[in-house]
Amino acid sequence: MADKRYLTGCSAAAQAAKLAEVEVVCSYPIRPYTAIMMELAKMVANGELDAEFVHGEGEHAQLSVVLGASAAGARAYTGSAGVGVTYAMELYSPIAGGRYPLQMAIADRTLDPPGDFGSEHTDALSFRDQGWIMGWACSPQEVFDNTLMGFRIGEDPRVMLPQAICQDGYFISHIPDTVLVADPAQVKEFLPPYKAPHPLSMECPVSHGPQIRPDQGAPMDAQRAATFLGLPQVIKEATADFNRIFGRNYDPFLEKYKLEDAEIAFFIQGAHANTCRQTVDKLRQSGVKAGMARLRWVRPWPTHEIAEALGHVKAIASVETSTSYGGAMRGGNLIHELRASLYDLDQRPVVTSFMAGLGGETIWPEDFEYMAKVITQMAKDKKADQYVRWIGFEEE
Amino acid sequence: MSFDYKFQTFEPIKSFKGAPKPEMYVPGHRTCAGCGPALNYRLVAKAAGKNTVFIGPTGCMYVANSSYLCTPYAVSWIHAQITNGGAVASGVEAAFKVMARKGKYDGPFPNVIVMAGDGGSTDIGLQAMSALMYRGHKVLFICYDNESYANTGIQVSPTTPYGAQTTFTPPGKMIPEAKKLFPKDPPQLVIGGHPAVKYVSTTSIAYPLDLMNKVRKSLSQPGPTFMHMHTPCPKGWGFDEKLTMEMGKLAVQTGMWTLYEWEDGEYKYSHLPKEYKPVSDYMKPQGRFAHLKEEHIAKMQAFIDQKIAHVKATAKPVEAAPPAAS
Amino acid sequence: MSEKLPGYGTITVPLDRSVPFGAVTPAPVLQQELFFTSNWRIVRPVIDDEKCTRCMTCYIACPDSCWAYNEEEDQMVWNAEFCKGCQICIHQCPTEALTPQAELDFEDGVVRLDRPF
Repeated sequence: MADKRYLTGCSAAAQAAKLAEVEVVCSYPIRPYTAIMMELAKMVANGELDAEFVHGEGEHAQLSVVLGASAAGARAYTGSAGVGVTYAMELYSPIAGGRYPLQMAIADRTLDPPGDFGSEHTDALSFRDQGWIMGWACSPQEVFDNTLMGFRIGEDPRVMLPQAICQDGYFISHIPDTVLVADPAQVKEFLPPYKAPHPLSMECPVSHGPQIRPDQGAPMDAQRAATFLGLPQVIKEATADFNRIFGRNYDPFLEKYKLEDAEIAFFIQGAHANTCRQTVDKLRQSGVKAGMARLRWVRPWPTHEIAEALGHVKAIASVETSTSYGGAMRGGNLIHELRASLYDLDQRPVVTSFMAGLGGETIWPEDFEYMAKVITQMAKDKKADQYVRWIGFEEE
Repeated sequence: MSFDYKFQTFEPIKSFKGAPKPEMYVPGHRTCAGCGPALNYRLVAKAAGKNTVFIGPTGCMYVANSSYLCTPYAVSWIHAQITNGGAVASGVEAAFKVMARKGKYDGPFPNVIVMAGDGGSTDIGLQAMSALMYRGHKVLFICYDNESYANTGIQVSPTTPYGAQTTFTPPGKMIPEAKKLFPKDPPQLVIGGHPAVKYVSTTSIAYPLDLMNKVRKSLSQPGPTFMHMHTPCPKGWGFDEKLTMEMGKLAVQTGMWTLYEWEDGEYKYSHLPKEYKPVSDYMKPQGRFAHLKEEHIAKMQAFIDQKIAHVKATAKPVEAAPPAAS
Repeated sequence: MSEKLPGYGTITVPLDRSVPFGAVTPAPVLQQELFFTSNWRIVRPVIDDEKCTRCMTCYIACPDSCWAYNEEEDQMVWNAEFCKGCQICIHQCPTEALTPQAELDFEDGVVRLDRPF
């Protein structure tokens, strides 16, 4: 029987990691993800979880420790936030290319300078091209669920890729909500034990990562890319299994909220989707056919699913809680791939973006209502007048 | 009640003939002819045996050994970044510990050995090395010291000797000695500051039995150990490749390198020369010192004299002579 | 609708270009035959069996493990496929049982390989 509890996102992650029976955990403190490690430390100390809890000397070390552990055949878990995520940058490609399916929990934090504990997605997004599975939760429940799904998907023999399970710092990591903590029997049914294909063993000795020539580098890249072609199928299967066993109702890639007949829509990921959903309801009450598509996995990007879900919409507001300085739209990160997904449609929605929630600010319902107003006008004009609007920073 | 991880035990190696026959570092690698670190690796692997996992941070002992897509390691080995040998090894060790406890692995606990160069130990890899020592993992961290970043074409590292020419320390009229700084002393970085470390040793490839036995002694410890291994580099130091072992011997005979063990707070020296040869005997055959003037060699001699004085003041009586042909 | 949208195509690595999964290769057993180094040498060590005392110095001193002791025949055995001709063994031999001889002097000398590696 699942246990109904009231947990923050950090606690939810720790509970899920415990149920996944993670074997090597590597900690290092940085706000706002630290609580995940504090809870795991308690579990190890009181015997609830038999794992090696390694005190890493920094985030770069954390990712290095779990790489070694995963290569030796253990299920490995770590996490970080903000500049901790970027400090570990050297390791993301070696881990993904080495096919070590460890998991990293990220409770987002705005990148320095200077210190800002509030949530922006740029930290995790900064390594999105290095070959990891990566996605955002919008509730502690989803953090819990994505943690388990992450291991299941990443450790699938057809995949063997590391996962970054992300949640907005503070909004999700620190605000409690209802979480159905699964029964160990349910987890056992859903998540088989980790079986490394060629672990560092003494019976069958192997060499992990010899030097290669440039002409051997190209096929390495191609093989890694080929995995991403088959990955969506694995995600679909895992999500269906998850829904069945745990009684949830996740779409594998996108939460599609009131989209079928929507004329305007929000495209968003993470915590602020909760405010967005409420605003969609409010707009619907006043007769506006609004909807929301919430992205669950940024890697692999669900190109076709986005085109199918949003193709009929007249105008889309991409809500960006990340920065891409000098980027094509002079705004955030999601907008580029959103537009790319819609580009080949015969009838393209009008697409614009809104910078909101930066630095970890709240996005107010009024902000979403403003976005709706802007894109309603764009829908009428059948044209976007601007690629981006920085909410709160526009000229009066 | 403590868990039995099945740590390995080792017999001392008494002679070359008595050394284990199986090669764990086999022929077929792209290291330079006469490569000191390669010989060192071979002896370490031989002493460690088949129940071993090597961690190989980037360096000569990575790139040269594993070009291309093939390695000479007959035991399991994993590449690490030059920055994180100590950290990857910690993860491997932790994994074997938990897998043993959970019954997922029931063989002998592996020798987990980091084979890091001087850069990967004392410079860019220092943080990870120190953290490994602090955390008490059962790992042997080896610093194979060829006194430069050799793999990238001989650049200066913190263990490059005073006066040595490298491509980042070329001699010139502004800096006639080429390198002004004296090197870090790697074992001293470990000794005394890491409570979990009980055994630290230095070795030279000119004394292979001593080397292999110190490896085995390190691997017999229940916690972390550090070895500083002198590995002359014909290419980087500018001497004929057939002289690699001889260069190691000259280093010990001149006091440029001291063989010792530090165990539970006590220093034990071995192969101490009765009469030290002058440092110029060691420096003159090496091209990397060719630009030095007498005043620079004198400065080196003064530095080494201080070291020798310290050794003489602290050394206990020399132990029984080692077996023949060492 | 997905049928009207572009697909991702296929990514197929030809067999002769495939790299092992995760760049994990099997460990060699006795020697790494993907990397012969015999064609590096310009001299090879020649052993005078009478002078050899089977002290095993050459065996211990070779970075490429090219000397082995055949116990049955009481012979030192030299690995022609990998010796790089560094001459450490020659230099270290305490009885001068080893001497360098030009590779060109030997019928099977100057080993040429089809590919360098």
